[in-house]
Amino acid sequence: MSSNLPILLFLVPFFAGVSMPIVTAKRRALCSRIALGTAIVMVVLATLNLRVVMTQGPIEYALGGWTAPIGIAWLNDSIAAVVVLTVSVVTLLSLIYGRLVVTSDLEKNVPYYTLILVMVSGLVGIVFAADLFNVFVFLEVAALTGYALVGAGGGKALVYAFRYLLLGSFGATLYLLGLSHLYVATGTLNMADLAVRLPELMTSTAVAGGLIYMFLGLSIKMALIPLHSWLPDAYTNAPSAVTPFLASTVTKVALVAWIRIEYSLIAPNVEVSAVPVLVLLEELGVIAALIGGALALIQTDLRRMFAYGGISHIGLILIGVSLGNDTGFAGGMFYLVNDAIMQAALFMIIGTIIYYHKAYTLDDIRGLGHHTSPWLTGALIIVAMAMVGLPPTGGFFGKWNIVLGALEAEHYLAAFTVVASTLLTLGYFLKVFAAWFLQPQDVEIQSIEVSNSIRLSLGVVSFAMIALGFMSDFVVQFLLQSVSSGGI
Amino acid sequence: MIQPHDSVIVRTLGHIVIPVAQLFGVYVLVFGQYGPGGGFVGGVVIAASMIMAILIFGIGSEDSALAKKILHGDGLGLLIFAGVGGLCMIGGGQFLNYSNLGIPSLDESSQHYVGILLTQLGVAVDVAVTGVSIAVSLSFEEDEISQEEVTHD
Repeated sequence: MSSNLPILLFLVPFFAGVSMPIVTAKRRALCSRIALGTAIVMVVLATLNLRVVMTQGPIEYALGGWTAPIGIAWLNDSIAAVVVLTVSVVTLLSLIYGRLVVTSDLEKNVPYYTLILVMVSGLVGIVFAADLFNVFVFLEVAALTGYALVGAGGGKALVYAFRYLLLGSFGATLYLLGLSHLYVATGTLNMADLAVRLPELMTSTAVAGGLIYMFLGLSIKMALIPLHSWLPDAYTNAPSAVTPFLASTVTKVALVAWIRIEYSLIAPNVEVSAVPVLVLLEELGVIAALIGGALALIQTDLRRMFAYGGISHIGLILIGVSLGNDTGFAGGMFYLVNDAIMQAALFMIIGTIIYYHKAYTLDDIRGLGHHTSPWLTGALIIVAMAMVGLPPTGGFFGKWNIVLGALEAEHYLAAFTVVASTLLTLGYFLKVFAAWFLQPQDVEIQSIEVSNSIRLSLGVVSFAMIALGFMSDFVVQFLLQSVSSGGI
Repeated sequence: MIQPHDSVIVRTLGHIVIPVAQLFGVYVLVFGQYGPGGGFVGGVVIAASMIMAILIFGIGSEDSALAKKILHGDGLGLLIFAGVGGLCMIGGGQFLNYSNLGIPSLDESSQHYVGILLTQLGVAVDVAVTGVSIAVSLSFEEDEISQEEVTHD
């Protein structure tokens, strides 16, 4: 049974999501319970899967009994196990949090829960897939449901969902174009098989072009600057119930897909027409981290500010994994897990503020700190510590490893960028806290008690951010297993 | 909104052509085991026959009843597909490893045959449902379909 865990992790949300319209045709109220139950089962399965990978090492799962390269393979290694567990936990928390802020129109819509569950199954598929075309298929499953979720609230969100759809489809097309280049050049789509055949073909323009197309396609999906324009608008206008889930998973999982491709296909020190590929990727990360941070600093709408914060973190992770050494890679991957939790926490906090106080901008939250629930203030302080990167939160250890990796590789610009982006993050959180604790001018703010579901979700994410910090050494070593066992 | 066609020729031909098209769809689905065809193509042909029924007889008519019923079948095909895969897992193999389908008194190649036929059936059902839903959602408003339901019930 334990060998079937990856496919079960995919099938459980998929089956629940697809059968939901049929099962709940008579009793719509069951939807949210089924979704919650599915998420709980997923967390249990993902934990079991993590244990299996810890004890047995990476496992290749051959779908249909056909082993790679003939059949389709899924790779269940430490990276997949950790990311899938993160996705499952974030899904569960978003659903618990969503119980309060979900609007009745959204709730009445069976598709809402179906979409979330099918999207989770797509994300799980992306993480496990060890085959370029499989990644494309699941990328589309996750993306199509993502467009629908952004537009689920109706109104202005539909425009931005449509824009996301246009850009996302363009990205998917580019990715498909890229993988077809590689297929023509090598005759295989399996990543492990490609890793064997590609190194001698690196001088071929078809291969280089294919890799560039694939990177561009995935850059749109992961919102890497300058291809990020869909993200802030989409997250600002999407329903509050879905933004924590979307913000913490979509871009991160697309980045995981790229990291798998990058690590199995592009060897360190490889150069294409005298351009060192990894350094180029790292510089793109530097640009994204700095510009993203700077753009976050000038926002007044909180959701836009944190959306740009997430964009700048994508750059940081890309820097970490492109340094070409284990320290940087582990730092980048660890930061990715942390960032998923931080983004979920940020958007949960904003959603709660919007729900209770109808506050959207920096001006609106003036003085909230004196009246609002201590749960909100506490969670905000912890998430700020994690975003800025203060110990003992996990964010610190991620950034620390990235800096160490950069110094080890003697890439001082990368090290500088991590520090500079930390300062930028500190800058925009100072703006938030300045407003949060400022006395408002003769506006009466009523005190509130947040509901239990919010307390639970905020409590767990805050705990997770600190717990990740304490477990950082263990998690980092575990993530490095994938690298040391010969390509991911 | 699509009105029922009032030409006698079209309606009579519809009664003849639609069953033939459906039969052909099933043939393509089954023939896919040995030659060109399969679940997707078969599903498209079946969907085309049902869309034809809607175009000729209108959505509320008795002659296009199947097309309207099938609209409730969202995801049924996916469940068939995933269910067959799940059966293989219960039989002790990997997902979709038909050797472990667990049908007694069948040798391995026949199990593969049955497994592939069932998954293709799932694909066909899903493609047919999707095809009809696209046609319906492009040509009718949501309330028009339910109104038709009221008048004909």
